[in-house]
Amino acid sequence: MIKIRNLEKIYRTEEVETVALNKISIDVKEGEFVAIMGPSGCGKSTLLNILGLLDDPDNGSFLFNNIEVANFNERKRADLRKHNIGFVFQSFNLIDELTVFENVELPLIYTGVKSGDRKKRVEEVLDKMQIMHRRNHYPQQLSGGQQQRVAVARAVVNNPKLILADEPTGNLDSSNGNEVMTLLTDLNEQGTTIIMVTHSEHDARYSHRIIRMLDGQTVLENIMV
Amino acid sequence: MLKHYLKIAFRNLAQQKVLSGINIFGLSVGIACFSLFLLYAVHEFSYDRFHTKADRIYRIVEWWEGGEREPGGYAWAYTPVAPAMKRDFPDVEYAIRLKGSDCIVKAADKVFRTSITYADTAFFHVFTFPLIYGNTNTALQQPNQLVITQEKALQYFGTANVVGKTLELKTDSAFVPFTISGVTENIPANSSVKFNLLGSFEHIANDPMVQQSNMNWYMTIGMQAFVQLKPGSRLASEQNRINLFRRKYYPDDYKPKKNPTKEDLIQTSFRLQPIRDIHMNPTIEGGNDPKNIWILITIAGAVLLIACINFTTLAIGRSAGRAKEIGVRKVIGSQRKQLISQFLAESFLLSVLSAATGLMLGSLLLPLFNQLADRKLSFSFSRFPELIWLLIGLIVLVGFLAGSYPALVLSAFKPIEVLKKKVRVGGSNLFTRSLVTLQFVLSIGLIISTVIILQQIAFMRTKNIGLNKENLVMINTEHIGNKRIYPLYKQAIENNAGILGVTASEMGLGAGEGLMGAGYRDFKGELKGVIEYPGDYNYLNTMGMSLIAGRYFNPALASDTTGAVIVNEALVQELLGTTPEKALGTQLLNAKGNRGTKTIIGVARNFNFEDLKQKVRPQFYYRPSAFQPSRIFVRLQAGDPGSKLALLNKTWKKLVPDAPFEYSFVDEKFDNFYKNETRWSNIAGWAGGISIFLACLGLFGLAALAAVNRTKEIGIRKVLGATVTHVAGLLSKDFVKLITVAFAIATPLAWYMMHYWLQAYAWRINITWQVFALTGAFAILLAVATVSVQAIKAAIANPVKALRNE
Ligand SMILES: Nc1ncnc2c1ncn2[C@@H]1O[C@H](COP(=O)(O)OP(=O)(O)OP(=O)(O)O)[C@@H](O)[C@H]1O
Ligand SMILES: [Mg+2]
Repeated sequence: MIKIRNLEKIYRTEEVETVALNKISIDVKEGEFVAIMGPSGCGKSTLLNILGLLDDPDNGSFLFNNIEVANFNERKRADLRKHNIGFVFQSFNLIDELTVFENVELPLIYTGVKSGDRKKRVEEVLDKMQIMHRRNHYPQQLSGGQQQRVAVARAVVNNPKLILADEPTGNLDSSNGNEVMTLLTDLNEQGTTIIMVTHSEHDARYSHRIIRMLDGQTVLENIMV
Repeated sequence: MLKHYLKIAFRNLAQQKVLSGINIFGLSVGIACFSLFLLYAVHEFSYDRFHTKADRIYRIVEWWEGGEREPGGYAWAYTPVAPAMKRDFPDVEYAIRLKGSDCIVKAADKVFRTSITYADTAFFHVFTFPLIYGNTNTALQQPNQLVITQEKALQYFGTANVVGKTLELKTDSAFVPFTISGVTENIPANSSVKFNLLGSFEHIANDPMVQQSNMNWYMTIGMQAFVQLKPGSRLASEQNRINLFRRKYYPDDYKPKKNPTKEDLIQTSFRLQPIRDIHMNPTIEGGNDPKNIWILITIAGAVLLIACINFTTLAIGRSAGRAKEIGVRKVIGSQRKQLISQFLAESFLLSVLSAATGLMLGSLLLPLFNQLADRKLSFSFSRFPELIWLLIGLIVLVGFLAGSYPALVLSAFKPIEVLKKKVRVGGSNLFTRSLVTLQFVLSIGLIISTVIILQQIAFMRTKNIGLNKENLVMINTEHIGNKRIYPLYKQAIENNAGILGVTASEMGLGAGEGLMGAGYRDFKGELKGVIEYPGDYNYLNTMGMSLIAGRYFNPALASDTTGAVIVNEALVQELLGTTPEKALGTQLLNAKGNRGTKTIIGVARNFNFEDLKQKVRPQFYYRPSAFQPSRIFVRLQAGDPGSKLALLNKTWKKLVPDAPFEYSFVDEKFDNFYKNETRWSNIAGWAGGISIFLACLGLFGLAALAAVNRTKEIGIRKVLGATVTHVAGLLSKDFVKLITVAFAIATPLAWYMMHYWLQAYAWRINITWQVFALTGAFAILLAVATVSVQAIKAAIANPVKALRNE
């Protein structure tokens, strides 16, 4: 599903040039659950953003379902993104002004789903994430764990083939964290490919494979058994 | 403490360059506008106070009241009244009569047309017009002495020191030499008494008309009279003394009438009007209505308010970003009072900075404003000392208006809530939205009004008034041997190429030309005013007026100069109540009810000889047997008038070398009727343009703030698949809603106001929905364009960055 080769991302500011990704090459097959680990600043988020088509690489090749997307423009990337990829962030990134229901509904609006279908779909997902009873609440009225469940619901509402999660448990206590990890595992078992960045060896054990990064490169891959 | 506040205030201004720029610029424009209007208002209310004895100088006015008449006064003075007052009342120190008249002056072989005012000798004892050269005690002692203003002295002689020089003046048929005895400083712009040349009343005392009026207590000859009372006199408020005085000289007016008519019910009295009251008292003819000034100040206040609102809304909008600062300040022990002071210090600093730039801007714009307002104003603190206080008051007011609400709201933040992010004032609370709506209500209202005024002006300019006013030149022949010049001139130019017709009249046409008339009885015996037009035989055809019955004047018929009249439709309807055909041959009934002197030979189609506020009044044309035309009318062939005017000028110079060739185009004279309307449309237009500009400036700032405050949200939405259009739409939507609401409020208000305004015009346009639709669409488009700049900027930003900065 994902095949990147010699991917480079360099941030240039006036004084310094940071090589965030240094000729990195990775493969991810459909249905896999991959964890990415590494010290702070090694380029994990940068990689995830590029995999999520939020950012473009400076160099190298990126095949997404066998299509070269490294040189896609913003419009094409956005189009591919909204139909295929869901995101979960460490800080949830829910929109404060919208209710739980409206937050989850948003991706469906942007992909042009009709309002009747949207309602059904959102309710289904909220049910699955066991947050249905909070559908009319605003994000600030929820606990962290609940907020992250809403974020996961929002990520999967479009039935994406790939979910990218950047430290999804980073802001949660262990029991809430485990709950989210169980959700992700369930999704993976139903066929969704998941790539997750984490600092927690415990969480990483939910995955099939761990990619360890250092200074913008992969240094080791552990296959979990 | 103050130093600390100011330091922080300066830093805040410097940090937020765009917002501070918008605020200072907007407020400067607002203050510039307001101070100009303020200057205008102060000027209007400052009339005539420069006379050192202003509190003792009064104008004699005649007051009419009773019957069906609105109470009101006229400033005409009967020739013998002022001297009689001086004789009869010991409190009257001086009585001054002023009689103005047109004249031609010859100085150093050049001729000019100007006006001369004849005044009683004590003129300079009463009025304060300092002489640069000459002596006020002797300047008007001899009948052939003349005082001239500096401006005219420079124009005629090229130098101001002209005492002793001779100026030749012609008011009748020949030039008469006058000796210049004094040169005054230029007349202040805020003087009701104005003159170019000032002569002695003695000079015209023997004029037959003046002598006649001196004996006839009912005859007016266009004169004004002033008295100066002795210190302590209360004569002006002792109306019964003045009434007794009048009873003595007008005994007939106080005899009871047997069968009083409507006119008999009008009670006439004399009153003394304080000189400072003249300019701003609309109940006496020629006085201005202070209502107009208040309207102007209100418009200017609205513009200023819009600028102040910008400051308020932007300050609130920025509060989201400042919440943390406030939280921290509170935690370290700042009290609410101190926070309020901090915010007010900021708005006052801004107000002072804006006032400084605003006043500079104002003085730069003053020439333009003078042109708009038709005034010669200058920012003179010595002449208008109250301006200083008004401006200081303005600065304080602006500081408070702009700063108080943000100060109260922001200082009320609770630190815990700030941390919990529960306070949501990010540029979208109800108060801010109402203010933005108000801004657009005002701007849209002003623009709609401007468009409607412009439509009405265009309508009045282009309406067929029943006379062909295009390509028609009017030449002034007053005081230059009227009888003799016209036939000669006519003969000289008549048969030239490009000249289609030549005629003449004893009356001019268009704005500022005056009318003649008399009372006639209608078929029910009621007295009605009729306008009389003395013109040449070919007047009607040359003017392009059409007859609907009867015939034109015929030079071959002697009877046509001894009582034949051509009347207009309005006269037929209102006085005769019959049809044009039946009106032919009818004789008009004069005011005494006698027939026999005026017989109708034709009926002309109505022609709007006055502005289109009036209905066409009853009118007739006649050819006087002793025809003394004061205006020659020449109809030119359409096309470039240059060569034809050159011919007219050349012929004039040959025939009348000692009088200036003065002409005007009749269509322009008619356009001049609408000077006031044009002025209002200019003022409303500028105010509307400036206010919508300021409102958009504020919108621009608010949109920028909204984009900043919503950076994260926009980022998330983009991650979830929102396109640039989505995001731009999201940000614009809120603002467009506000403007739509503003439009909905402004429309009925503007309609109502303009509907009311149009009622003053007998001939008026219908207000069409298109004006509203177009203005609304324009405002919304403008707002969308303004907001889009920010929205698109926010929408194309990389969402990754937005989400990184948490
Ligand atoms: N927009 C940017 N401009 C400049 N440098 C950047 C930018 N984004 C990331 N970097 C730099 O690139 C490097 C990789 O950053 P990245 O966010 O991918 O690290 P990370 O592995 O996700 O770290 P963490 O575990 O702390 O989240 C860092 O050195 C970071 O400072
Ligand atoms: Mg990271």
